Amino acid sequence: MSDPTEILTVSNLRKTFTMHAVGGRRVSSLQGVSFSVGVGEHVAIAGSSGAGKSSLLRCVYRNYLPDSGSVVLHTATERIELTELSDRAMARLRGREFGYVSQFLSAPPRTGPLQHVVTAALRRGHSREESRSLAETALRRLGIDELLWDIDCSVLSGGERQRVNLAAGIVSPPRLLLLDEPVSALDPANRERALEVIDELAHRNVAVLAVYHDMHIIRRLAQRVLVLSDGSIADEGRPEDVLAARHAALGEVVA
Amino acid sequence: MSTASVLSEIDRELELSGRPTVLDEQAKREVRRAMLSAVCIPGYQVPFGSREMPVARGWGSGGLQATLAMGGSEDVVKVIDQGDEEGVNAVNLRRLIRGTLGCGTTADTREASIVQSRHRIPEDRMVAGQTIVLQVPNSEPLRGVEKSVRECNRMHAEADYSRIWVGMYEDLVTGGVVNTGAGYPVMVNDRYLMAPSPIPRWDVPRLNDSDHLTILSHGRDKKIYAVPPHTPVAPVTFDDVPFEVEFTEGTTCGLCGSADTFMVQTSDGRFLCSDVEWCRRVRDHDVDPAEHRVIAPLQYLPDAGKRVRATAEDYLVDPGLLADESAGFRDAVTTTAPGAEWTLKVSGLGKTYPARRGSSAVVAAADVDFDVAPGEALGIIGESGSGKSTVMKCIIGDEYQAQGDVRLAGFDDARTNILQLTPTERRNLRISALSVVYQDPAMGLNLRISAGGNITERLTAAGWRNYRAIRRRAAGLLDRVEVPLNRMDDAVGQFSGGMRQRVQIAKALATDPDVLLLDEPTTGLDASVAAGVLDLLRELLAERNIAVVVVSHDFSVIDALTDRAIVMHRGRVIETGLTDQLFADPHEAYTQRLVAAARG
Repeated sequence: MSDPTEILTVSNLRKTFTMHAVGGRRVSSLQGVSFSVGVGEHVAIAGSSGAGKSSLLRCVYRNYLPDSGSVVLHTATERIELTELSDRAMARLRGREFGYVSQFLSAPPRTGPLQHVVTAALRRGHSREESRSLAETALRRLGIDELLWDIDCSVLSGGERQRVNLAAGIVSPPRLLLLDEPVSALDPANRERALEVIDELAHRNVAVLAVYHDMHIIRRLAQRVLVLSDGSIADEGRPEDVLAARHAALGEVVA
Repeated sequence: MSTASVLSEIDRELELSGRPTVLDEQAKREVRRAMLSAVCIPGYQVPFGSREMPVARGWGSGGLQATLAMGGSEDVVKVIDQGDEEGVNAVNLRRLIRGTLGCGTTADTREASIVQSRHRIPEDRMVAGQTIVLQVPNSEPLRGVEKSVRECNRMHAEADYSRIWVGMYEDLVTGGVVNTGAGYPVMVNDRYLMAPSPIPRWDVPRLNDSDHLTILSHGRDKKIYAVPPHTPVAPVTFDDVPFEVEFTEGTTCGLCGSADTFMVQTSDGRFLCSDVEWCRRVRDHDVDPAEHRVIAPLQYLPDAGKRVRATAEDYLVDPGLLADESAGFRDAVTTTAPGAEWTLKVSGLGKTYPARRGSSAVVAAADVDFDVAPGEALGIIGESGSGKSTVMKCIIGDEYQAQGDVRLAGFDDARTNILQLTPTERRNLRISALSVVYQDPAMGLNLRISAGGNITERLTAAGWRNYRAIRRRAAGLLDRVEVPLNRMDDAVGQFSGGMRQRVQIAKALATDPDVLLLDEPTTGLDASVAAGVLDLLRELLAERNIAVVVVSHDFSVIDALTDRAIVMHRGRVIETGLTDQLFADPHEAYTQRLVAAARG
């Protein structure tokens, strides 16, 4: 049965990398991670580098193939076990039912910001005309200068690229977005703008599962935080409670 | 003493000494058998054991054998060359025939039982019981569009004549009219394409539903073919470009004043009837002019208003006018197999090259499984020799004797394993169900004909017969693949590699196939050109609901075009996954090496 209050349920997710180039060395990444994200809930993932934060998002999106465990997406109509889904079905679901904004923009070569964001909107089922106007709104919202809209993304600055990437994620957002450090490369003004946009998602009933390094952001945006350590959830709860308690583990980033 | 009296004296002496044997009885039987077969299968070129004749090849040796084999002493033979029975060649052939058969000769068509002719059917009506033997200088109507004899034979066997329209398209594009004069291609009995050489277009309508028998014989090529009485014979045309006979406005014969005969021009610019005997009889008032007007092909006189140049092609200057053309592409609905998601399904595909001297047996592919759905692109990755191209060739039919099972939703509702089909059936699949873009444009294109002509080839194969519609469609496709329309009529051989590849892509998409196979589509192009072609392919795939398989050793191509991919190694599929997942999280040692290498 689909739980009407949850959008994503992850149980006992495990991921290990086997490095054949170094004699089949096994590097463990996720060691049985379980959590859920409620409808319209903003859940943050915190933890030090290498704790498995990005891997977790990628395993949900099948950018990485998890070894075992369950990832269930609750759409408006059905409960979908993503780990058992065929590649084709997964490819169709991606971007449409849930989105992923990677840490670094991976637009196809020689694609401009507008085209990239329009493509994302098209995937979400909008007409060409609608997609264009939605994309323009999203790019303006994130402060991408109109002069840059048809310029190859690969020549944009790091911050611009990150905002283009975010724009493609939040354009006509699906009910669940996975964000991997969406504002890490932004200057304060743009960062503020981007955070406002992300915060607004909650008002549109979009659930967000996001990795942030900055505890201020977590406090400000997230309703709940998962603290990952060595591939396991070390702590979980309301940001103000957990972050205070985890002060020691998270070190100086906690203000 | 006149020349005629000298000749008749010689002939009389020859007759006294007995008739010479030019064609022995065995040879005559051979020719008669061939003629009977030819009559039974109208328009079909029957091979026969052509003998050496005491005339130079190309001077009527084929026609001579036919006349000598069918004629006898009771026949009356008329011989004409270019409409004239007094030419040296005609006189010599007539004397040879008379001397051999002991038959009568005449210049009057009405008296003749056999008319042997080069270049003309007499202006006068030919009637039941008469036979015309045409000396043929070129028996193969397909020679102009296909050099291979074997391929021509295949095309005849399968009635696969679509390429003849490509030749006509090229003529129309170049000159606005079809250039073929003598030997204008005709369909005989709705079955065989025939070159009625050597007659002009003026005489072509006379072959249709005729009262007489027509035998065409080519001595050098050793072919005999025939049009029996009352056989339908239709000149090949585009639906919207009428067949035309030769005609110069306002010409009349300088001798007899006729205006409804086939004319030849003299050195001083006047026109004369080509048929000398007819011209003389007109002057002698020994003809029925009313009846001649009935059999003259006056309904086929050129009409400038119906020629292709009469229609402006504004869209070549303003491709925006082709908007409706490109909009149509997106409406195409791609079929899926009943109860399944896929359009193409490959199961257990394998190909083994048997051991030969100098090479042991090679398993090029084994147990390859995958399927592709509409709107989906599947990549096949692997290094050279991994078997990825073999898989592609087995699907497209460039490689035979493959094991396994390949099904297309668009063919027989996927009930048939296409690997079991005959070569003909497989070729037909490639017209509309399955298209391929090869790495080498020369594999998919004819470099000697124009860009538009190459697309025409695919369209006519799919049954398109309207010149203007073909033209518009070809322009729409070429515009879509960003080939400038002012190059549309240039031979593809003059194009750069990138342009050729674009033309090949346009041709592959011309008939909106359900499945598109791309075999290293950008390999071999300069980086910047390859990037342009890759961008084009990405756009085309995004706007079409087509099932695509991309074979490439280049990760950037697979990454840009596909959602899912399979990795091949030593002929086997070793890993499958979402394309980004395979690159981000490869599991097999081979794939990890491949990905690491691709990172540079």
